[in-house]
Amino acid sequence: MRQRGPGALFGTSLGLFVVLFYALLPVLWLLSVSLKTPATVSDKKFLPQDVTLDNYTTLFDGGLDSPLLRPLINSISIALIATVIAVTLASFTAYAIARLDFPGKAVILAGALAIAMFPPISVVGPLFDMWRTLGLYDTYLGLIIPYLTFALPLAIYTLVAFFREIPWELEQAAQVDGATPWQAFRKIILPLAAPGVFTAAILVFIFAWNDFVFAITLTSSDSARTVPAALAFFTGDSQFTAPTGNIAAAAILVTIPIIVFVLIFQRRIVAGLTAGAVKG
Amino acid sequence: MGVPAVKKRGRGGPKQTSDRTKAERKLAFLLCAPAVFVMLLVTIYPILYAIVLSVQKVDLRFPEESGFVGLHNYKAVLTSPLWWQDVFNTTFVTVVSVAIELVLGMILALVMHRALFGRGLIRTAVLIPYGIVTVVAAFAWFFAFDPSSGFVNSLPFIADDKAWFGDRGSAFSVIIMTEIWKTTPFMALLLLAGLATIDEGLYEAAKVDGANAWQRFYRITLPLLKPALLVALLFRTLDAFRVFDSIFIMTRGSQDTESVSILGYNQLISRLNLGLGSAVSVLIFILVLAIAFVFVRGFGTATPGTQGEKR
Amino acid sequence: MRRGILIVIASAALVGGLLACGGDGSSGGGPVTLRWFIFNEPSGAPQKIAQRCSQQSGGRYEIKFEFLPSQADQQREQLVRRLGAEDSSLDLLGLDVVWTGEFANAGWIEPVPASTAKIVSDKVFSSVLETARFEDRLYTVPIWSNTQLLWYRKDLVPSAPKTWDEMIDMGEKIGRTKGRIQVQANRYEGLVVWVNQLIASAGTSVLSGPKTVKLDKAPTEKALGIIGRLSRSSVAAPNLTTSNEDSARLGFEAGNSAFQINYPFVYPSAKSNAPEIFKNMAAAQYPAVDDQHPVKPPIGGINLGVSAYSKHKAEAFAATECLVKPANQLEVATLGGLPPVREDLYDEPEIDKVYPTFAQQIRESIKNAAPRPSESPAYQDLSLAIQRAVHPTTQIDPKNLDPAYDKLRKNVEKAVKREGLL
Repeated sequence: MRQRGPGALFGTSLGLFVVLFYALLPVLWLLSVSLKTPATVSDKKFLPQDVTLDNYTTLFDGGLDSPLLRPLINSISIALIATVIAVTLASFTAYAIARLDFPGKAVILAGALAIAMFPPISVVGPLFDMWRTLGLYDTYLGLIIPYLTFALPLAIYTLVAFFREIPWELEQAAQVDGATPWQAFRKIILPLAAPGVFTAAILVFIFAWNDFVFAITLTSSDSARTVPAALAFFTGDSQFTAPTGNIAAAAILVTIPIIVFVLIFQRRIVAGLTAGAVKG
Repeated sequence: MGVPAVKKRGRGGPKQTSDRTKAERKLAFLLCAPAVFVMLLVTIYPILYAIVLSVQKVDLRFPEESGFVGLHNYKAVLTSPLWWQDVFNTTFVTVVSVAIELVLGMILALVMHRALFGRGLIRTAVLIPYGIVTVVAAFAWFFAFDPSSGFVNSLPFIADDKAWFGDRGSAFSVIIMTEIWKTTPFMALLLLAGLATIDEGLYEAAKVDGANAWQRFYRITLPLLKPALLVALLFRTLDAFRVFDSIFIMTRGSQDTESVSILGYNQLISRLNLGLGSAVSVLIFILVLAIAFVFVRGFGTATPGTQGEKR
Repeated sequence: MRRGILIVIASAALVGGLLACGGDGSSGGGPVTLRWFIFNEPSGAPQKIAQRCSQQSGGRYEIKFEFLPSQADQQREQLVRRLGAEDSSLDLLGLDVVWTGEFANAGWIEPVPASTAKIVSDKVFSSVLETARFEDRLYTVPIWSNTQLLWYRKDLVPSAPKTWDEMIDMGEKIGRTKGRIQVQANRYEGLVVWVNQLIASAGTSVLSGPKTVKLDKAPTEKALGIIGRLSRSSVAAPNLTTSNEDSARLGFEAGNSAFQINYPFVYPSAKSNAPEIFKNMAAAQYPAVDDQHPVKPPIGGINLGVSAYSKHKAEAFAATECLVKPANQLEVATLGGLPPVREDLYDEPEIDKVYPTFAQQIRESIKNAAPRPSESPAYQDLSLAIQRAVHPTTQIDPKNLDPAYDKLRKNVEKAVKREGLL
């Protein structure tokens, strides 16, 4: 990063602040709602008047059978596995499309897009029938596979866009300079591919994390139910009372794995060229 | 894995030996096969099934009445003013939110890229909205704006009992604001990654040549961001067109804010009219494909060509 | 770092795999397992009576729970998917009162055998039984009911109003800071309840047969007029167009309302959340449309259905006979505040404890209730049609009701024929 004058420093600090405010205000609101008592949850104030941690503690009542614990574990596992597989498969495909010459590129890209664009609500019905027949209903695999299907197009497109920008001839140049093909690949190409790969990983993870339609249709118990679906099972004090506090608390808690995941991965979305020092 | 073997690109130029071309193709198919297989496995049957259903009269509640009806369902949908109203609503929400997200995303990406300190913190903070469970995010916004529970009406300059969801204009505003808040990070992330691949040296050279900030942005940044930008736009638009949760949670589609996805849900799930619902789904699919077509043709997004080199 | 990620993933998969390994153990021989699909009633009352009945069955069956989502729409979606797939693992179903016709016509629930029907209909309110019948046969077993009362602030209002117009007058006199009227008018099933009861209380009905629309003009317009008047009144809640049972309760507990139309759950809620308001809270009958026609309050609740694909229908029906025994109905009322379906139970002292001062109100309310037009298997279409026609209720002009009437009639006719998009 370059040295800038005080004007730029002020500008970026202001920008920083505005960005954080914009991103976090509704999150703070959720946090505030999660700390409110049932009597004051609708008091129309931003800050809670009566702070309580009940909304959080009741989420873990019952240990492994608690409303949130097992779904949380399910969500993390399923999203991680789906992300790893999706990014791997998409990388292979994107590499082929970006670097190799073969008929059918257009078909694969167009087909992938078409597949991802079909309204999920029409797909879950037949998928439900399929999975029941195949015994995949209410299992990890039963969710991972649809997540792969619907995340692969995005991952492929993202990676193709980034792989296309990689100057592949650098690899050749490095080999001419005496590096082995594997060294060339590892030291030159991989760092250049990193921004794309980690971006794709974050996008796939969040997609799997956030999905509701598949989760609620293809699961029937805590064996594989993820958090968004589990929220639909939260109850308030009575049939008609919305469990607002609990839902807000769950949403806040469930954001923590996301924060961790993104914190780790975003570090890799950095200029890869400077690392290789292969300019000019 | 055969990665080192066929590193050298096959370009237009002098024809490669057919052996190499064949080896390249074989490798390409090997690499693509797993992804293609996974994608088809899940969707072939459901999509075909939906298409078949759409030309039949099928209502789960009345199992004795079923049969082939040709394009009757499609006719019913396309001649219904409700369908066109919803298409308009959906297009409106899509265009407005994507346009704003584009500008906002670009600004966010620049801030994230150029931040002098706290980069990790900012990037993570910016992505939090995208990572919050969608239904809860929509609910949080609803809860904030609803006159009976939210703090928005206590803000200065806003009437205490303004019914945000009682009027089409204000309802749309809240819905669009929610969509923008939730998905701008997606745009910003892709643009950030794009920015990360731009060689700093180009900016240096441009500065030496006397270009100002705006010129540097317009002539260096934007063109080099094109691939990432177009992927972001394409997917964001296609997703925005299928908006469901925000609208459903806030107004359930009332005040004429209904989207085509809600319409599909009503026919398919509430009425269990699978024939009509599938027709709606197929029509949504066709519309979405048309949008994708426009993007790919018009802007050249990820055009699958033989070109390996860009710039 | 890559290795780190791999380790994390491997452990996650391991943990997940272990946890996912909890399959259900169906025992061969021994009691039959009956799976009861119902939402998780927060009081735990269904669990208690199910346990009791399992014990009392003498080893014949054991009731296990499979919970459904908390919202009615989503419950229905889950049930429909599995019944549509002829899933044999469903035995007992906790059905909303308006699903009977739909599920029966689709062949998803088994008609109640005559012997069971005799036992479970004994002394049950006729209005409740109406919700359990389809084409004159009993298809479901009523287990608990529900109805709406008019709750008012006795410190602001000397005596309860008898009609809607009276109530609006009273509210407007008190003024909008304290005199608001809370109802349910969002575009959802609750709105259909309101509309239906007003139409019924005006002397007509939505349908006069499973496929014939009634909606006589004059009474329907009277009902619509009341809706329009209330919606445009100064004492309508500001969030009227997104109001539901919960927001009505919250509005009343916040102290800005003199009236609310709601289910009895608001009573214990106010007791714990808003004791100041609770001190002055009183209950009265659902308001009438005018004094020429008897008031028809709403009816809700849960009916038990036995899945047509169940492998243990005999045991399931035996279980229903036990679950609706008077002692169990009283248990449900005591634990969950849910009104029993048998009329004679309202003389029991336990009911007075659950509903102090208004037990008889509830009894009268259920007795006089008019169900929604759920005898039509296309009830969901009707519901959507009515919602679309009437929402937002502020659009109804009390001085010019013809357009509102025409819209409602047109939509309902389309729905009954099940044509077009809704």
